[in-house]
Amino acid sequence: MRDLFVYLLCGSILVSGILAVRLDGVMAAMVSGGLASLFAAICYVLLGAPDVAMTEASIGSGLSTLIFLYAIRRTTAAGE
Amino acid sequence: MAEGILIAAAVLIFCGIVFGVLRLILGRTVVDRVVAVDMLTVISISLIALYAHVAGRFIYLDVALVYGVLSFLAVLAVARYLERGI
Repeated sequence: MRDLFVYLLCGSILVSGILAVRLDGVMAAMVSGGLASLFAAICYVLLGAPDVAMTEASIGSGLSTLIFLYAIRRTTAAGE
Repeated sequence: MAEGILIAAAVLIFCGIVFGVLRLILGRTVVDRVVAVDMLTVISISLIALYAHVAGRFIYLDVALVYGVLSFLAVLAVARYLERGI
């Protein structure tokens, strides 16, 4: 069961990364990038590294999304 | 009995992840994708909890706890930004 889920999550990380590069809107690309980080955190849990997964979940998925939001807001306010 | 319930939960989580990623690929607007990410967060928390039971290592439940607290903040920030800006 574990190997099947690891394969599924690896494929989902790949799809999320491709979408983050290919999507048009900045917001959608940011959401897809956060989703890749989410799947990576679950992958770490399934591979037996819960401390790495906790760090990835807090920094990669939580903090980086907020920093991206802040950067998007600042750059669009400066550009317009 | 318990084995069957675990297998059914694993199948449901598998289908949930597949359909959530499909919604992410096909989603027309940003809101669709944000809702898909929120759904995938809940599904992944349940996957971590299921694996903690299967593997018998309850330290994994801490990861699910931290994830449940933090991931909701990101979705909330995105929703607030989409509505009226931070």
